[in-house]
Amino acid sequence: MSEVPAAAAAPAMPIEFVRASRWYGPVIALNDVTTTLPPGVTGLLGPNGAGKSTFLKLAAGQLAPSQGEVRILGRPAWGSPEVFHRVGLCPEPDAFWEGLNGMQFLTGLLRLTGYDDAECERRALQALETVALVDAKDRKIGGYSKGMRQRIKIAQAIAHEPEVLLLDEPVSGLDPVNRRRVIDLIKRLGREGRTVVVSSHILYEIEALTRRVLLIHNGRVLAEGDVREIRDLLDEHPHTVALRAKSPRLVARALVDQPHVLSMTFGADGEWLTVQTAKPDELYGALHEPAIAAGVTEMYSPDEDLESVFRYLVAR
Amino acid sequence: MRDTSRPVPFLASARAVFGLSLEGMLWSRRSLVLGAFLAIPVLIAIVYRLVLVARMPAEITGLHLYGYLVALFWVRNALPLAALFYATALIADEVEGRTLTYLITRPVRRSAILAGKFAAYLVTTLCLALPAAVVTFFVLATSRGVSVAASVPDLFRDLGVLALTLLVYGALFALMGVLMKRPLLPGLLFLFVWEMAANLPGYVPRFTITAWLRSLVTHRPAGRGVSELFGQVLPADLGLAVLTALTALFLWLAIWIFSSREYVLDQ
Repeated sequence: MSEVPAAAAAPAMPIEFVRASRWYGPVIALNDVTTTLPPGVTGLLGPNGAGKSTFLKLAAGQLAPSQGEVRILGRPAWGSPEVFHRVGLCPEPDAFWEGLNGMQFLTGLLRLTGYDDAECERRALQALETVALVDAKDRKIGGYSKGMRQRIKIAQAIAHEPEVLLLDEPVSGLDPVNRRRVIDLIKRLGREGRTVVVSSHILYEIEALTRRVLLIHNGRVLAEGDVREIRDLLDEHPHTVALRAKSPRLVARALVDQPHVLSMTFGADGEWLTVQTAKPDELYGALHEPAIAAGVTEMYSPDEDLESVFRYLVAR
Repeated sequence: MRDTSRPVPFLASARAVFGLSLEGMLWSRRSLVLGAFLAIPVLIAIVYRLVLVARMPAEITGLHLYGYLVALFWVRNALPLAALFYATALIADEVEGRTLTYLITRPVRRSAILAGKFAAYLVTTLCLALPAAVVTFFVLATSRGVSVAASVPDLFRDLGVLALTLLVYGALFALMGVLMKRPLLPGLLFLFVWEMAANLPGYVPRFTITAWLRSLVTHRPAGRGVSELFGQVLPADLGLAVLTALTALFLWLAIWIFSSREYVLDQ
């Protein structure tokens, strides 16, 4: 199918935020954000309520900025419906017209993108194949599993082969096989030169997808750049490890002289030991032998939630 | 050829929205309930034919009863209620179901979205109402003392009035649906308080929709009693013009508000 390209203009960044703010009544959801997102995959990382969804809704033209400017493919994101020929959105809510089957859902939305019936069918099948849902194309979405629903949502976002893809928590609810499939798909789309923005509140999810991240917290962009730089910042973050052992004092004795250990606390039941360290890698290295000797049965890091990481970054 | 520098043409996008909406609207619980409600006159007509016809005075024909049903049941009550329940939900259902995102992030104008959904509403309600009206007409019109052939043109006129009722009230309630978060109560108040002004003397009925619709009804109930409500009949030509203008105005306002409004969908 031939297409008339959008009017030629000076090359613009696919997504641009210029001093963009957005508030809902007295609540500021996004505060004075200036950033540009180039082609490739960018991770939008932040804890729940950080402003990631507002960022995506502004980029997708669902909301107008209260202040500043948001442009997508060189046009204002709000009030430029024509831009959606070239933009795909996978929203976060698990919402569908439950009575439609997978094929009807995709072809219906493709018709809204201006394709004729034959092209809608071809593209719908192609997208269903990409997300491994061809076998379920005639089943009602109401009967899909959580993972299938997530995949059909991704399929509708990619079916018209957009240049810009906005994916809100796209791997949430997927089993490991499909998670891998979707991650590979997103990486491939990024390699093809499309601009893919993926939001998540899970650091390792973003790390699996890209090295370019935008850190958002409390409506502000805290940092943007290579995920390794963020990792470096986090390496200095006091890291807490809690372990349960038959003889936690044996572990404590082995760690007490380690310069990176900041503090140690015993639990009231005499089985738990909580260690705070400045260098998690060295701590894990030093723990190996004493952990065996002390009979460690459980070990976890309460720092893994992003909220605590972000609190640390904000405080720096 | 697909022009990506412009939104998808209005008619093509409205048709696509219509296609996406129609099935969900037609085969819904709402349609089942309202379909049964709108078909009540069929039941009344059958009871009349089987039981009541022999007991009625000769001057009261089936067409008189049909006139009452058209004017008092469908035009005054049932169809405005159907319009209220469907048209206020055109966008509200998409917002509540959080599916509006799929529609407003496509290269289509919002006017086409509303137009497509309004067309789906109209087809759905017409599919529910018109067959019931036709069946009722034939059940009643074939009773004693009625010339069916002479009345058929009036049937078509009545069907037109029913369609216009759905059109004008649908446009009004579509407007209320995009304007208000909870339009049902204001809608009911409008129908059953404000519209009662159609029965007042003087100029006031002109400010109601029902008075103008009444001017178009052919089979006005004869005699006294309830029929006195129809004492003031406005000019039919003017009625048609006013109702057309009101429909256009309400729809234009609904589209304007829908096009400029943000929809923050809860997650």
